[in-house]
Amino acid sequence: MSEQLVTITVDGKEMQVKPGELLIKAAQDNGVYIPRFCWHPRMNPVGMCRMCLVEIETPRGPMMVTACTNPVNDGLVVDTQNDTVKKAQEGILEFLLANHPLDCPVCDRGGECPLQDQTMSYGPGESRFVEEKRHFEKPIPISDLVLLDRERCILCARCTRFSEEVSGDPLIEFTARGNTTHIATFPDLPFSSYFSGNTVQICPVGALTATAYRFRARPWDLTAIESTCMHCVAGDRMTIQASQNEVLRFLGFDSEATNHGWLSDKCRFGFEYINSEDRITTPLIRQGDGHRTASWAEALSLVAERLSSIRQAASPDAIGAIGGARGTNEDAYALSKFMRTVIGTNNVDAQLDDGLEPQFLAATASRARIGDLDRAKTILVWGPDLKEEHPTLYLRVRRASQELGATLIVVHPRATGLDDRAAHVLRYRPGSGAELLSDLKSPDGSHPAVARAFAEGPVVALVGRTGYGEDPRLPEAVAAWVRTFNGASILPLARRSNVFGALDMGLAPNLLPGRVSVTATDSFGEAWGETPSTPGRSTAQMLDGSMKALILVGSDPAADVPGAARAKEALASAEFVVSIDLFRTASNATADVIFPADGFAEKEGTVTNIEGRVQKVNAITTGHGQSRPDWSILEDLAARMGQPLGFDSAQAIAKEISTVAPAYAGVTWDLLDWEERDGVVVPYGDAIQPLSYLPADTPGAIVKGSLVLHSARTMYDDGVLMRNGLSLHKLAPGASLHVHPDDASRLGLNGQATITAGDVTATLPVVRDDSLARGTVYVPFNQPGGPSLGSELLVEVAPV
Amino acid sequence: MSIWPEATQERARTIIARYPEARSAVMPLLYLAMREDGWLTEEGMTEVAQWTGLTPAQVQAVASFYTMYKRERTGKYLVSVCTSISCMLLGGDDVLHAVEDESGVPHGETDDEGLLSVEHAECIGACGGAPAVQVNYELIEGVTPEKGRALVDWLRKALPESVNGDEMQQLFGGPTSFDWAIEESDAALGPYPAFGPLGTVEEKR
Amino acid sequence: MSLLVTRRMTDHPTDSHTLTRYEATGGYVQARRSVGMTRDDLVETVKTSGLLGRGGAAFSTGMKWSFLAPARPAYLVVNGDESEPGTFKDRQLLERDPHQMIEGIIITSIANEAHHAFIYIRGEYPKPARRVQKAVEEAYAAGYLGKGIFGSDFDLEVTVHLGAGAYICGEETALINSLEGRRGEPRLKPPYFPAAKGLYMKPTIVNNVETMANIPHILAMGIDDYRELGHEEDTGTFMFSVSGHVKKPGNYELAHGMTWRELIYEVAGGIRDDRELKTWIPGGASAPWFVPKEHLDLPITKADTGKAGSMLGSGAVVVMDDTTCVVRAAERIVRFFAHESCGQCTPCREGTTWLEMILRRIEAGQGRMIDLDLMLDVSDNISVGLGWPPKQTTICPLGPSAVSPIISIAKYFRDEILDHTENGGCPQLRKPVHVSIGGSA
Ligand SMILES: Cc1cc2nc3c(=O)[nH]c(=O)nc-3n(C[C@H](O)[C@H](O)[C@H](O)COP(=O)(O)O)c2cc1C
Ligand code: SF4
Ligand code: FES
Repeated sequence: MSEQLVTITVDGKEMQVKPGELLIKAAQDNGVYIPRFCWHPRMNPVGMCRMCLVEIETPRGPMMVTACTNPVNDGLVVDTQNDTVKKAQEGILEFLLANHPLDCPVCDRGGECPLQDQTMSYGPGESRFVEEKRHFEKPIPISDLVLLDRERCILCARCTRFSEEVSGDPLIEFTARGNTTHIATFPDLPFSSYFSGNTVQICPVGALTATAYRFRARPWDLTAIESTCMHCVAGDRMTIQASQNEVLRFLGFDSEATNHGWLSDKCRFGFEYINSEDRITTPLIRQGDGHRTASWAEALSLVAERLSSIRQAASPDAIGAIGGARGTNEDAYALSKFMRTVIGTNNVDAQLDDGLEPQFLAATASRARIGDLDRAKTILVWGPDLKEEHPTLYLRVRRASQELGATLIVVHPRATGLDDRAAHVLRYRPGSGAELLSDLKSPDGSHPAVARAFAEGPVVALVGRTGYGEDPRLPEAVAAWVRTFNGASILPLARRSNVFGALDMGLAPNLLPGRVSVTATDSFGEAWGETPSTPGRSTAQMLDGSMKALILVGSDPAADVPGAARAKEALASAEFVVSIDLFRTASNATADVIFPADGFAEKEGTVTNIEGRVQKVNAITTGHGQSRPDWSILEDLAARMGQPLGFDSAQAIAKEISTVAPAYAGVTWDLLDWEERDGVVVPYGDAIQPLSYLPADTPGAIVKGSLVLHSARTMYDDGVLMRNGLSLHKLAPGASLHVHPDDASRLGLNGQATITAGDVTATLPVVRDDSLARGTVYVPFNQPGGPSLGSELLVEVAPV
Repeated sequence: MSIWPEATQERARTIIARYPEARSAVMPLLYLAMREDGWLTEEGMTEVAQWTGLTPAQVQAVASFYTMYKRERTGKYLVSVCTSISCMLLGGDDVLHAVEDESGVPHGETDDEGLLSVEHAECIGACGGAPAVQVNYELIEGVTPEKGRALVDWLRKALPESVNGDEMQQLFGGPTSFDWAIEESDAALGPYPAFGPLGTVEEKR
Repeated sequence: MSLLVTRRMTDHPTDSHTLTRYEATGGYVQARRSVGMTRDDLVETVKTSGLLGRGGAAFSTGMKWSFLAPARPAYLVVNGDESEPGTFKDRQLLERDPHQMIEGIIITSIANEAHHAFIYIRGEYPKPARRVQKAVEEAYAAGYLGKGIFGSDFDLEVTVHLGAGAYICGEETALINSLEGRRGEPRLKPPYFPAAKGLYMKPTIVNNVETMANIPHILAMGIDDYRELGHEEDTGTFMFSVSGHVKKPGNYELAHGMTWRELIYEVAGGIRDDRELKTWIPGGASAPWFVPKEHLDLPITKADTGKAGSMLGSGAVVVMDDTTCVVRAAERIVRFFAHESCGQCTPCREGTTWLEMILRRIEAGQGRMIDLDLMLDVSDNISVGLGWPPKQTTICPLGPSAVSPIISIAKYFRDEILDHTENGGCPQLRKPVHVSIGGSA
């Protein structure tokens, strides 16, 4: 791996640099900043703005080159600030400003504008351009989220390159030529990219602005803090900016390990819910059909008293907790400890039945890291549509195939965002995945080319359920098979913000904190004393109507999961329901007590991403009303139930995790705040992980029928946080029934049709979708006004 | 799927087959689109996008780069008057003014009937026969302001289905860059080049 | 003097474009012969023939071929985009003797192991394109193109591609982008040298039409005779396109070495109405101008022209007599480059248009005393030091090309510019200049 370095001389200073590296990067890494506009470290150089002109020595005398396009070689001698270079830089800035409007005072970029800054440090006095400036109609909306001001644009090609090279949806392009060149979308074809916000962030001027942030603040009024995105499981790094205790903007933060600085629009703009009017501000106690506000003391005592009595009267196992994936590891640990030690049950589940075997997710053998994608020769994606459910992973996989030449194989019931990059696209009907798998396994299977690709290691497989009907054992079986190829590694996929952290903290019926099986309590140690050693109930089992008391922690089973109807009944029939949440939801509408919880950016802690990377999340605003972090609510309950958890701060919990949870040994906030800003993958250092789970090779049942249902998520849906973030909620595609044209004609479907899945029937608009495997219908999950179809596979569809 | 008649689609397939990669066919296909609609419409660009697997925005990016893809309504006869250096030296500007004045169409515009478009062109490679004019890219060399007016008048009155270079040269031309010698039987149909593979060539009557 | 590339069209004007005539006059003999030859032989032959590219850069063709990277497939792209103002020689070669070029293409493809060649012809040349297309079809029918040419096992496909109005597509990497169905924007060098990463990122040879036309003759007459024909290191013949205020404008196939006086006053018949020669452009709109008192008796060679601070470029000689307003002439050339700038890089996109605007003001009588120095300084920010060959701040040489007329008039006609600014515009032109901006954008 270690490469021979070469020596170059920049402004008389010798540097050791990687051969072939771009001069602009090499110089910067060695403390010499060369001004630039178009160059971006995460995209291919175009050398268009010419701001980075420098002089290099050649046999034919000094020569002007752009540092952003010039690779370094041994003995290269560079001058970045002699008079010739200075003159050229002044010249470029004068050219750029010639047609640039002077509206900085009303420009969002004002105060954080590279053009403004570099004019200060490298620019000419005043412009000698007295001719008429170029004119365009002032800001035009090019999507619901982004506005374009072509007069401010300096044509650096950052946005166009991003959409072509990085996100793979080239909807924004250069148009016309020469002096009339400008950025444009196609008429009536908006810049509807899931990643459009990144172009706003990397635009070096105020040409692209975000509707969400426009005119909201001036850069100098903002306070900022580094954190980790909790919308999806990739653990994307970000900077949170706030003003007057209100979160105003998220910016991607470049982390080599995770997001390379990019964020999906959902993660970037999805914070509006934090400032929502509908946030719960005080504890609430059930009164008739509604709730009345209450003091913390009253609410806490009531809950403590009821839980204790149910625990006495029935048994600890009559009580269960659902959720915990939306909180920090510290919150999750507190909940796990509360249920195991204070209540005395393993009835905890952070997954709402739409996931996979917890031990597979938390502790699979040969688990991959995100970075492995960069080195992979072959990548298999057999799981959800990454573009919809794991946006920044989608970008990493796209990069691997588009820029780094990996062979990509995509297996899914319908078209996915990666198909255009895939060397092989395999379609199959939900329920028959097992068949496809055995076909792939067999030496004389029907996909020899795919088989050959797998022979080319290293192989990285991203496996998960393609939809809700998918048998959770299938992805495991796929993993088991992939592990048979040498150098293969696996990234099991689950969604829900911090689900991997929650599982690692033991929020699963069969797991204890630090990747320990409940049946192997000895490897967990004495810290918690005696804890139950038989696995508890999963969410589904807890919602079968048998539970007396249910604790909902940031979870909405009555809406956000398949079989919501059943969940509603179970919640209604339970004797006592407590909810810890930011909002009123379908699930806590009838809860006996609701506690207002702190949200993202309001509390400090750690989270664990899909590869097991632990990173810090930080607070920049105080809570909302009387809201409190989950852990402190649980601490008070425990105390009132006579068995305090012993925590006076989140950091204290982190400390306990780092000593009690084996896989998390040694992972302290100090470590993450200072030495390891990009976090650490656990087990870290010489910590050992007791549980190593071997994926089971049992693909599960094969279900056949004339029509099977594929029900999967889209990026924008009707989830609680989406619903309370207006700009994104309106982007949800809406409820619809996708049918293969052949099936549509066979069944005589057009306009509207009714679909019957189990006990649910719904009427939906029909969409002809020839990307579907025949005999498959697709219904995007949890859409505004849409039905909540169960995880039924077999469905019936009839014309209206 | 396609909005093009079968014959045009067949042409498109043949053109794409001439290149190692479909994207290379964008330029010829844009000419096909112009031939279908008389100029390059949004529908045309969207169609080309489908044939080449690009987004319409990408096709627009390419089309708008080249001056010969007319994205606004353009006349049946596109009269291009060269005003680059060599033609300018020999009165190209006067020819342009004459054509503008006679037709009442300023450069860069089209008459209401959609018959005549006038533009001033950069060097069209006829410097030895300056000043030069093209009608639908068929060349006339050695044009005077008077002949320029006569040309406009002829187009408006004779309304030729297609225009032939030799014929126009005889009627309105003068000295040429070099001896044309060879008789030209092909004629041009619309405001786009007459080229066999594009199906834009007519036999001169 | 003995003609090469224009011989056939001169002897047989009416049918020099047909396969019959071409073969009747020794056509395709060399192509047939070269099928048996090795890459090394052919490259060596062309190298020692001293043939320099005729597209403007005058780079050794054999040398270029020898740089071809080993990866395959390799492609040949013939540059028929001829758009440099003043140039019209390729048009004649395409229109009047297409088979000559095709034979050159066959030999060049064999030499460079290319099995697909593209002929990129500017969109405003439909007539030449039709002639070439018909010739290509004749050659296919005769078995000289297509699968197993001349009965050998060498396959060669040829595609005729029509441009669509963009001078910059003459620049070889822009041409490649255009051929790939992209905007005709020049690529970065490094890393995109055609010989290594050209068309579809594969090794690619780009050669001019006239260069191709020379290849069969080099094989036919042999290296020595070919060199003999020329003048020292400017071997073979060279086509000059003479235009402007001369009595006999046109294309002239000549050997180098004669003086400018001979070319203008003898070959081209002198200045119209026997007026005074004021200035001339020796090698296309990109080249700095020459003036009688300094350059008239300079021999026409690559070296002498270069030493005198200009170039022979595409061989376009534009002659201006004493009636010419040099401000207007400069404006017209700068307007051209501004209009043809691809717009990628800042200095060219902004600078050329700025210069055009200033010149137009001066011509229209709104010039300011500082404008001349301003133009020179703006020019200096495009072409550092205003030297020759230019030290460009741009990606490709188009930007600096726009500077040539500025430095030329500033150097030789300073008083005329100042007269414009002091006395309210162009003295010769009593109506305001026609200020029109081209393009459909
Ligand atoms: C702005 C610009 C325009 C050019 N235009 C042409 C052209 O129209 N025809 C041509 O053959 N070469 C043109 N060239 C030169 C080509 O880049 C290339 O050098 C040439 O085609 C190589 O062929 P040759 O070696 O046979 O001359 C141009 C170069 C530049 C920088
Ligand atoms: S110099 Fe002009 S034409 Fe050349 S790349 Fe730059 S902008 Fe384009
Ligand atoms: S940063 Fe190098 S040219 Fe723009």
